[in-house]
Amino acid sequence: MADYLTIALSKGNLLKPTLEMFSAVGLPTDGVDEDSRNMVFSYEEPTIKYIMCRPTDVPTYVEQGAADLGIVGKDVIEEQSRDVFELVDLGYGYCRFVVAGPEKYKGTAIKGFNYKRAATKFPVVAERFFRSQGLQVEIIKLHGNIELAPIMGLADIIVDIVSTGRTLRENNLVELVNIMDSTTRLICNRVSYRTKHEQIQPLVELIQKTVKRGMTS
Amino acid sequence: MNKREIPKGLRDLLPDEVAVKRSMEQKAAALFTSYGYREVVTPTFEYLDVVEAGTGGDIRKELFMFMDREGGILCLRPEMTVSIARLAATHMQDENFPQRLYYMCNVFRHVQPQRAQYREFWQLGIELLGASGIWADAEVITIAAKTLGEMGLIDFKISLNQIAIFNSLLNDSGLKEEDQNRIRNLVERKDLVELSRVLERLDIKDAIKESIALMPVLHGGLEVINRIPYAEHNRQAAEAIGELEKIYQALKLCGVIDHIVLDLGVLRGLDYYTGVVFEGYSPDLGYGLLGGGRYDNLMGHFGFPRPATGFALGLDRLALVIDRPQELPRRFLVGGTDFAAVVAEADRLRQQGCIVEMDVEGGSKEQLQNKLQGRRDYHLIYLGED
Repeated sequence: MADYLTIALSKGNLLKPTLEMFSAVGLPTDGVDEDSRNMVFSYEEPTIKYIMCRPTDVPTYVEQGAADLGIVGKDVIEEQSRDVFELVDLGYGYCRFVVAGPEKYKGTAIKGFNYKRAATKFPVVAERFFRSQGLQVEIIKLHGNIELAPIMGLADIIVDIVSTGRTLRENNLVELVNIMDSTTRLICNRVSYRTKHEQIQPLVELIQKTVKRGMTS
Repeated sequence: MNKREIPKGLRDLLPDEVAVKRSMEQKAAALFTSYGYREVVTPTFEYLDVVEAGTGGDIRKELFMFMDREGGILCLRPEMTVSIARLAATHMQDENFPQRLYYMCNVFRHVQPQRAQYREFWQLGIELLGASGIWADAEVITIAAKTLGEMGLIDFKISLNQIAIFNSLLNDSGLKEEDQNRIRNLVERKDLVELSRVLERLDIKDAIKESIALMPVLHGGLEVINRIPYAEHNRQAAEAIGELEKIYQALKLCGVIDHIVLDLGVLRGLDYYTGVVFEGYSPDLGYGLLGGGRYDNLMGHFGFPRPATGFALGLDRLALVIDRPQELPRRFLVGGTDFAAVVAEADRLRQQGCIVEMDVEGGSKEQLQNKLQGRRDYHLIYLGED
């Protein structure tokens, strides 16, 4: 009996390009639907199982070995610092971590943020970035609508993910520093990589080739 | 503070858990002893200087550190190999080598606690001190495989590498130490995305780049070692590859080859490894079970340079994947009105090898019967009137 290869998929806007990439490498995708009640999708030929997860849960499933592989944004991996192998940059789902704030901070050198307060959904990334710059910035963890914090005086600046920057503009905030770029990654459990190598390695190579072709065409 | 609270990442072991642990320890001890290994115990904490001299690198962030009243900086031992190297350098200089030592100890690391990762955990392992050469490595790897087999694991893998292949390629690249460490770290973490970016930016020979990029994914039987493009230009790398091949052949003779896989991405985290390294995995657990390898420079840090090799196995992790041990033999509960008769009967049964509890509360036959309701592993003996 062949073992199932379990892949944790991120629900939401990464799902469509992920399924497109899967079809391109010949993985089954019929019936996969994030709105379905079904959260597990199994196939016999090849023996593959998809599980539908919140993006922030994907690294957890993979690190603990509940899934062998996972599809998730670098932003999520970075914030969680999980012990997983990062095998392929899939290229899609681009976004970036930025420091943003009201117009008045435009042109401020980075040391000008010392002892300021930064609101963010990503305290780990924010803290690590400011510390690496030798700065002390108070991190205020919020769960959503980060743009509200500087408007209401809860924080001076924010650290957030942007893709087009529209939300920032709508709230009269400007991008001040680009912390890092993020795209979607194929991640792998440390042990699965070794115990299911015969299943994983050919798939990884196929995905690498497909991604490379996609980037040049 | 709630008075029942215990420090984060620690745990109590209850009777059933200890039974599993003891049974694993007994099996391992019997195996190690049959290969001539003798048990040693070292102090639970050591001077920070000793631990850091041995492990090198970046271990301090994982240590529990404190001070003694004389002002010495101490730490709870994070692993056993350094302590055993120190022990041998202190006490065994006049003995004949090789020395074969084993241990079963608790070690401490300040890690984020989660499943299969605790701040105090139990390791057992062996160190083969004073022996160079591939037969020594083959012995240690064979014992590692047999240990997992003894514990009842069937479907496990041991990944094998010789880190001199990777290290000598890196040395040949002419990169600064900082860049070398960065690359080593990325290969170890298999962050292939960042690795390819870093390599792209570096000004080193293409053949070396290609080899470094390939090594984390080279995995399989003997065929993989011929796939490193640059290796033949580097004498040390070529020698290391030759050694890996010989060990692979030796492990065939030792009867454990079915579990062995070559994996050129296995580098092990600790800085003291110098040659062959290996890690053991079970498909039922997302974390490694054992790790080890050759560390020929470690004992030199304690003024007694000797080649050495060994491995350590995490008991807490292994306990998550092994089957529970067989049910214990039947137990007796002996009760009655005459204490002398109860004691005599209990002793008689114990001499026959039975497990016997005495009813020390003076219960009636009916009370004892009620107590044992549903416990089919108990047999009641009641002496005297009902």
